[in-house]
Amino acid sequence: MREFVQFTLGGIGFGMVYAAIALSLVLIWRGTRILNYAQGAMAMLTAYIAFTVIGHTGSYWAGFAAALAAGLVLGAVIERTVIRPVESKPPLNAVVVTIGLLVFLEGLAGIIYGGQYRSFPAAFSITGLHAGPVPLGISLNDVFVAGAVLAAAAGLAVLFRYTSAGLRLRATAFNAYAARLLGVRVGRMLTLGWALAGLIGALAGVLVSPATFLYPASMDSIFVLGFTAAVIGGLDSPAGAVAGGLILGVALNYVGGYLGSNLVPIFGLAALIVILMIRPSGLFSPSTGRQV
Amino acid sequence: MADGAALTVDEVVAGYGGVLALQGVSLDARPATITAVLGANGAGKTTLLTTISGFVRPRQGRITLDGTDLTRRRPEEIARAGLAHVPEGQGVIAELTVEENLRLGALWRHGRTGRAEALADAYQRFPLLATARGRSASTLSGGERQILVIARALMARPRVLLLDEPSLGLAPKIVAQVMGLVRRLRDEAGLTVLLVEQNARSALAIADRGIVLNLGRVVAAEEAAVLAADVGLRKHYLGF
Repeated sequence: MREFVQFTLGGIGFGMVYAAIALSLVLIWRGTRILNYAQGAMAMLTAYIAFTVIGHTGSYWAGFAAALAAGLVLGAVIERTVIRPVESKPPLNAVVVTIGLLVFLEGLAGIIYGGQYRSFPAAFSITGLHAGPVPLGISLNDVFVAGAVLAAAAGLAVLFRYTSAGLRLRATAFNAYAARLLGVRVGRMLTLGWALAGLIGALAGVLVSPATFLYPASMDSIFVLGFTAAVIGGLDSPAGAVAGGLILGVALNYVGGYLGSNLVPIFGLAALIVILMIRPSGLFSPSTGRQV
Repeated sequence: MADGAALTVDEVVAGYGGVLALQGVSLDARPATITAVLGANGAGKTTLLTTISGFVRPRQGRITLDGTDLTRRRPEEIARAGLAHVPEGQGVIAELTVEENLRLGALWRHGRTGRAEALADAYQRFPLLATARGRSASTLSGGERQILVIARALMARPRVLLLDEPSLGLAPKIVAQVMGLVRRLRDEAGLTVLLVEQNARSALAIADRGIVLNLGRVVAAEEAAVLAADVGLRKHYLGF
């Protein structure tokens, strides 16, 4: 029983990181119907930027802020430069472009920073918390990770539901034609969607890097699991993305805890395949069909 | 509400792929008038409206609003120039609530107080929307959706309104209500209206002028009363 509690709590930290990646994928999917294969690589690059800033300033929070700002800018710049030309083209064009971007960004990081593993600082203590004498399987930093992602998700929910920009973003995502009729500058909304996705992805990168180390391909497996979380939740549903991340994080932590950590990647991929086979629209999505 | 503007379409050629739906169409909608655009299916009526609102790019010709060139500008910029297009049978954002649809219509135009006023105005004009304000737009009937898109277009206090088949699928009583509203907007607010209708009789009843399209060309442009009285033209192109 004690193990079960530890595995459950321990899974929440990673689950929230998957949730953040999933959320960023959902933001882009809803706005542009593009699956951004470069989302993990973008997060990796912004984590390197945080790494550099932390190295120069000695302040974790300066690096944290720099990564988020860089994510925002990177998302916007990528949409404006390489995504805009393929938005009205067949879906395969966007797939090729984002995969190309993934390879490019990882290559770029390798050229600038080299391929070695670098340790990335955590915001708070990573020593395990205890309830009295009982270890809980989580650290203060895990609590911060979960809180940061939840805060970001809540912030997005408020933005989408209660602000004019959010109304424009939703209108663009649901019906770009009608949005245009009403004077919504759809191009700007798509840029904003990518920028927000870049921001959430950067958050995931900074939060997960203390656990994975930082190297050019460090976000690859995180991206796959984040994508799995998005598929579990349904690519159209931000709330589903968060729930999908939590479910996946906890489930994989049971696998790692009870069966052995070498089985985690296999189970992650198996979950992706099974969900795509039996319920491709996700567990929480009301939509009935889509193309990926 | 701003005064209506003159909309001028000059020798516009437009189409899809190899098909030219408009083959040199010209028209002149004077300020604060209703111009009916009539013609059979496939005459180019809807293409004319989508070309004016920027969704179809004209290959030749010019479209101006009070002298400002709108040709080849983006649809969202044309909307912001004061031209509202109510498309036929679509355009409601079903995933949003009725109120969100309405609010969206006013976003670019007004500040906070202006938006609230426009919303109150819409609810007063269309009480059924006030009743349904919190409901998802997907729960509305076809007629209610039509009312919603018209009300939403008016939220931005447009100077020119393009209406595509507003009576399609509406009960006669609602059609009369919509037509009455269009006429009132012209008289009270000086709105300039381009009205596309299958139902030529009811369109000519409220229009000042009418043009008849046939296979992408203007075959008649007259005062509405003259068109309605022209038996040969009516029989040939309008079927009543």
